[in-house]
This record gives sequence, C-alpha cells and structure tokens, in this order.
Amino acid sequence: MSKPLPHVSGCMRLSYGDEFRLFETRISRLAAFGFAVVLAMLPFVASPFVLDLATQVLLASIGALALMLLTGFAGQVSLGHAGLLAAGAFTTGILFREFALPFWVTVPAAGLVGGLLGLVFGLPSLRLRGLYLAVSTLALHFVVVYLGAEYETRRGFSTGILIDPPRLFGHEIYAPREWYFILLAAALAALWISFNLLRSRSGRAWRAIRANETVAAALGIRVARHKLYAFVITSAMTAVAGALFALYRGFVSIEAFSLYLSIQYVAMIIIGGMGSLAGALLGALFVTLFPYGIEATMAALPGAGRLAGDVFAVNQAAFGVVMILFLVFEPEGLMGIWRRVRDWFVLWPFRARLPGRG
Amino acid sequence: MQFVVNVAVLGAIYALIACGYVLVYRVSRVLNLAHGELMMLGAYLLVATASGIGSPWAALGFAVALSLAVGVLVYLFLMRRMTGEMVLAAVLSTVALGIMIRGVVLLVWTASPQYPRAALGWDNPSLALPGGANISFFSALLIGVTAVVYAGLFVFLRHSRWGMRMRAAGQNPLLAAQRGINLHAVFALAWGLATFTGAMAGMLIALDSGLDATMVMIGLKAFPAALVGGLDSLVGALAGGLLVALVEVGVIRFVDPLLADVVPFLVLVAMLVIRPWGLFGTREELDRV
Amino acid sequence: MALLAVENLEVVYSRAITAVHGVSLSVPQGAIVAVLGTNGAGKSTTLRAISGFLGLDDARVTEGRIRFDGQDIANLPPHRTAAMGIALVPEREKVFPNLTVAENLAAVPSPRPRALMDTVHDLFPRLAGLGRRTAGLLSGGERQMLAIAAGLMGAPRLLMVDELSLGLSPIATAELADSLRRIRRELGLTILLVEQSAAVALSIADHGYVLENGRVVLEGSAERLRGHPDVQEFYLGGSAGGRRSYRDVKQYRRSRRWYG
Repeated sequence: MSKPLPHVSGCMRLSYGDEFRLFETRISRLAAFGFAVVLAMLPFVASPFVLDLATQVLLASIGALALMLLTGFAGQVSLGHAGLLAAGAFTTGILFREFALPFWVTVPAAGLVGGLLGLVFGLPSLRLRGLYLAVSTLALHFVVVYLGAEYETRRGFSTGILIDPPRLFGHEIYAPREWYFILLAAALAALWISFNLLRSRSGRAWRAIRANETVAAALGIRVARHKLYAFVITSAMTAVAGALFALYRGFVSIEAFSLYLSIQYVAMIIIGGMGSLAGALLGALFVTLFPYGIEATMAALPGAGRLAGDVFAVNQAAFGVVMILFLVFEPEGLMGIWRRVRDWFVLWPFRARLPGRG
Repeated sequence: MQFVVNVAVLGAIYALIACGYVLVYRVSRVLNLAHGELMMLGAYLLVATASGIGSPWAALGFAVALSLAVGVLVYLFLMRRMTGEMVLAAVLSTVALGIMIRGVVLLVWTASPQYPRAALGWDNPSLALPGGANISFFSALLIGVTAVVYAGLFVFLRHSRWGMRMRAAGQNPLLAAQRGINLHAVFALAWGLATFTGAMAGMLIALDSGLDATMVMIGLKAFPAALVGGLDSLVGALAGGLLVALVEVGVIRFVDPLLADVVPFLVLVAMLVIRPWGLFGTREELDRV
Repeated sequence: MALLAVENLEVVYSRAITAVHGVSLSVPQGAIVAVLGTNGAGKSTTLRAISGFLGLDDARVTEGRIRFDGQDIANLPPHRTAAMGIALVPEREKVFPNLTVAENLAAVPSPRPRALMDTVHDLFPRLAGLGRRTAGLLSGGERQMLAIAAGLMGAPRLLMVDELSLGLSPIATAELADSLRRIRRELGLTILLVEQSAAVALSIADHGYVLENGRVVLEGSAERLRGHPDVQEFYLGGSAGGRRSYRDVKQYRRSRRWYG
C-alpha cells in the first residue's frame, strides 16, 4: 500500500484509481477548501507582526517538506540542511551583487546550485548509511558555511550582503502582503511537488529504500539512482527556499546558517511526525512559532522578568527540552497526537486497542 | 619546533575529547553529539566550584566528580529510554540535550568569558623547551593528562572485569544481558567515563585560556578525530586526534588561518570517501548502523 | 515442586506476530527436559521468553506465567533472570568474538569466580589451554563449550541450551552430551534443552515436549516419546507403516490428530 487509508474505519478503495486521487473523500476536499480560504483571507485581517510570522512559517515549510522527503520518506539522514539553505541564499546574493541579475534568474540558479550540491551531499550516501551519512552531511555543512564566510570576508561584506527588493515588470515587490502570497504560492508548489513525487515511481522507490535497502535492491529498484535523485530534488527545493529567504529579508549573512538551524529543521520533521507531509507543515509551524511563544510566556509570567535579557538562552533550553519530550514520549510527533485524537472521535464510543498493545 | 609543540597540544586536546565519543559509541552504538556541550558543562562546573569552594584542589576534585555524575545522570534519565529505539532517535536526543545544555549554560553563566584559573589563584607559567619552543604549564599538563587517561583506559578495558563487560556489551548487548551483565550499569559507566574525560579536557582548556560558549566548537571539531581514527577504536581516537591536529596546525601555518575551523571536517570528508570505517575501526561497523 | 513452570505462555513480537500460543512446560528440579520441534515452532522464543527479552527484540510475554522457584519472572530483563540463576546458551552468537576465551569467562558476573573457573576447566579441559585464544577463532564445538562454560560461571540453577548439536559433528555432540550429563550429576543443575535433533535430545533428556506452530502437541517421558509413532516417523526418521509421501499423508494426519 503506497498511501494509508484516510480514516480508521469505513473507508475502502474500490479501484486502483482511488489510490492515486489527490483528495480521496469529500470531507478532505472540503477541509482543503476551507483551509485555502483561511490562507487567502489571512493577510487582509492579520496584523503586520502576524503576517510576518505566517510568512516565516511558509518559508520554513518549504525546507521542512524537502527534509521530510529526504529523511522521512527516503530515509536518508541529513544534518546539513542549513548548508543547503545557505547555498541558495548565497547564490542569490552573489549573483545579485556581482552581476546584478534579477530574481527570475537568481532563484532558478539557486535551485541549480542546490541540485549540484545535493549530488555532492548525496554521493557519500552510496557508501554510507545512518549515522555515518548524517556525519558526512554535517561535515559538508561546515564546508559550505566556510565558503560563504570566505566570500564575505574576501569581498568585504563582513556584515552580510544586501539585496534590493526584486522587481517584476517594473514593480518592486516589497509589501508584506505581496510577499505573503508569493511565499504561499511557493509553499503550495513545494507541497504539490512533494505530494506528486510520493505518488510517482521514485516515491515508491524511496519508501522501499527506507524500509530496507537490500530488499529494495533485490526487487530491482535502482537504489543508488533513487537515493541521488532524492538528494538532488530535495536539495534544489531547499536552496530555492534559501534564495526566497534572502530575497524576502533583503539581506544575507552566514551567521544565520548555523548548525542550530539544521537542527531546527530536523526538529521540525520530528516534532511534526516522520513520514508525513502534513507533519512537515505542522512541524514548521510549531518550530517557527516556538520562540515567539516562549517570549510571550516569559512576558506573561511575573517572575520571569529578570530572565528577559536571556530570551535566547531560555529559548534554546526550552527548545532542547521540547525536542527531548517529543523524542521520548511522542516519537510520532504532532501527527501521532492528531491521529490518536481523530481515531478516538471516529471510534467513539468504542476504544481503540491495537493488537498486542496495552 | 614550536610547530611540533602546537601539534602535540592540539592533538592531545582532540584525543582527550575524542575518547569520549569512542567510549559511548563502542559500548552503546550511540553517537553522542552532546559531547561538546557536556565537556563545556564540565568546565563551567569548575567555574562554579572555584567560586564556591575555598581550596582549589577540593574545587577541582569536586568538579571532576560532578562531571562523572552528570554523565551517569544523562544516561539514567535520557538515554536509557532510548534503548531499543532507532539509532537516529538516540542521536537526535543527544542533539536536543546539547541544545538544552547550551541554553542552560548561557542562562547561568552568561556569554561573557570566564577565567577559572584566576578564581583558583593559580598561574600558568610558560615553559621553555629545547629548540626554542614554548609551552604553557596547563598545555603541558593537558598532554600529560591525556597520556594518563589513555593508559588508564587501556588497562581498564583490558584487565578489569567491568572493562571486559563494557567490551562485551558493545559487541553483543543481548548476549551480555543473558550472561547476567547489567547493561544499564555498563552504559551508565560508559556515559560517566566519557563525560568525565571530556570534562577533564574542558577544564584544562579553560584553565589554560579561559572559556565561553564557543568551547562547544572544540568538542565538535574533536568528533572528526574520533571518526578518522575509527569510531570503535580507542587507539584510533589517539591517532585520529594527532592526524587532525597535524593537518589543522599545518594548514594554519602554511595555508590560511581562516581555514582552521573547517579543516577537521575536510579531513573527515576525505576519510569518509577513502576509508569510511576509519584508520583503526572495524569494517562491519558500517553496516550495523 | 517444579523448578521452572511455564503456564499458558503467549509471546507477541512487534505487537503483531504471535510466535507462541499457550505453551505450558514443567521442569522439575534436577531433571533434563528437552523441547523438540522444527524451525519456527517457537522453541527458541520460549527459551528467550524465560530468559527475558531486551527492548531491542520488541517482543513481550502477553499472556501466561513463567515461574522460577515460585517467583513470577515473565518480562524481567535478562540480567535479572541471570542473577536469579537462569543461564541461557543461545543458538547463534553465543560467545563474544573479539574477547579471548578467558575474558569471555571473566566478564560474567560470578559469585565465586575462582572456584567456578576451576569447575569449568575441569569440565572442559580443552578450554583451559585456549585461554588467550580469541573466541571468534574457535571451532564450533569449542565455541559451544565456551558458551556453556560462560553460562556456568554465573552459578546458575537452571541451564538452558538452545540447539546443542546444531552444526556440530556427531563426536563433538556426543562429547557435549556427556558434559551435560556430568553437569547435572556433579553440579546438580537442572537443564532445559531445545533441539531439532530428536535423537540427540531424547538420548540425554528424561522428559520431552514437542512443539509445532507455537503449541505443545506431544509430551511425555523420553522413552514414551521415543516409542511414539509420530515422533518416530517425523523426528527420528523411522517408518512405522511403510514409506509415505510427506505432503500427501503426514500433513493431513498431523493436523487432524493434533488440532481436530
């Protein structure tokens, strides 16, 4: 089965075509429509602060979706995600600074560089698995970051590279609302690409590789090719996200792409729930909003005022704790919680009991 | 001559830290990416005891004992729950632990540099070596401590019953448990020892040149040393530390000092391409993870 | 009273696959009991359930009880059951290959290391001369000796051996069978033996159980089992009533006799 059934009960597929449909039930179609309406209305009702948060979530979702494809579906661990984002952002920055190229050149160029870099990141995966692969991507992250820092110092942009707002038909894209819709479109495109990739031959190959590489190879799946393919596609997506980030901020600095960022992306897919695209989106939402939540909580708590100077530290400590809590108590992430809640309602008043559990 | 001294000092630092990665990996197949943070925490523990306890030696001893306890507690409260889970989940929980420790350290001790040596009232004379080279007292001490720690670990693993049990548990945990070896005790011991040796490194570096939160980077740079030598080999960690230090000091001296932070990782990538199981590691390790 | 009593044991792997359905066994103090069965009958799973599973096996005892010396030991981890006096010699990976023979023995937590080392060397004189040999380089028979010896180092009361004769020559098997008899006679241990080779098992054991598909289908004293037509036909290779095709007759007869 390439796709889980939409609900715990009462749903059966009657033809192969059913499995390939984008929305399988009327409720899921309705839910998607409702969600689309909310997303479209948001910029007209939200405050600038909320809009900025929403934009950040959309940006993070692209990277999280890419990492979910790579790790959650193809089973290839990467700790170098920030390196790829940096590569995309720097490609855009450098092409703009050195050659004054417009965004419709720099963004695809970032994707191209990301894809090539994905090939480099992916080559070790032909020989290494699990931990060793994670380590090799970690090492490559440092190499990419070094190259970015080197560029900054050599060219005298030691504080970072400034990028003018992109122009489209003479119109400068600057307003937050415009950016929101651009990034919404980008995130939806990423979601659509991911969804379709998973329904394709490669998607099935990735799942097989994740489950068991040797068996996948024995079944005639070209493991090496599909692994590289996964790295190239997801890296290109990530680099595009990095490029959009650079354009949105109008500023690129290597400081932003620390190892901590890589870990945040890994946290997104863990907290969201491995092996689920919706999980990637939920994780992106959770991790992006988390620091603001902590800040708000600290402002609300009376005793926490004296810690106000260390928001960053509190944030880090709390983030570590939350990540540990998820890993230990809810390895299936937010999606796991959601599934349990949903099953509970669907099965009510009966209690779900899986065989052998409890 | 100074070049050789620099390589020896840096190699000793890397080797002393790397043996912690190796201990934990060899016994429990978990890559401890919080090792750098645990090492830093050890150094900060010394800062805390140095200001709280009058006698410098008591402060040092107390901090060392605390670091051992921290390692054991990390196993008992966190890593014990990860047995039987995917290896990746265990590694990520060490990453999360590292982030948490970083946050806590920043909260308690702020980001400004600390100088435990001053608090303990010791000085750090520069010793002249033949050949016109200089070495600071604590750097020399660090080389000595590294030698002692490695010798101790070799004797412990070879000849003590608990050392044999650690090796046995690393090879086949199920069989070890069936023979009556308490795996939790063995793993806790490994974590304790790893944190202990890491903290020794952290304290000595802090005593030599002060510390702040960037010490984590030293811990992370020692990781390539462990992997270059072979993650399951103690001799490898020593050799890997020296090799990485040699390349790093060489590059700083002859190529570009800016490369310093990336050199260990370049060595790591090169090693992963040529011989992924490391200089002294066992080849089957690759398929086990 | 029986030293070990397994009552109605059910074991589930990965919360989904039931490997053992309601097996009951009784091992009296001082006896040698054999469990027979083909591949996948649930013999090894039963032994490992008694010894205890680790988190990494992802198996659990979901029903039934395992009593050792009156105490319920179901789902205790292996190091606890070992401390209570149960030693298991597993089927595969029975020694630590990178440790020497002496280290394999010394690593076992033992109440009387020196005395037991002497006992073990007395039982298996060959091991005494191999102390510095790496265990991974031993022959199959030597490995089995070392595994049994390591089991004895913990001063157990019950020794469980999973597949004593598998992959060993008849001479080595006979030697090991002798050692097991000596262990019972001289050390007073109770032995639970899992075997595919019924001939070997029934020559050592006092009592036997036959497992199929996770259930006990026959039990009785060793003589009775040796004389039982089904055991003769399916496990000892004799033919009670002329040659018949396995596929046509036996499967049908067995299922009718044992389940119907």
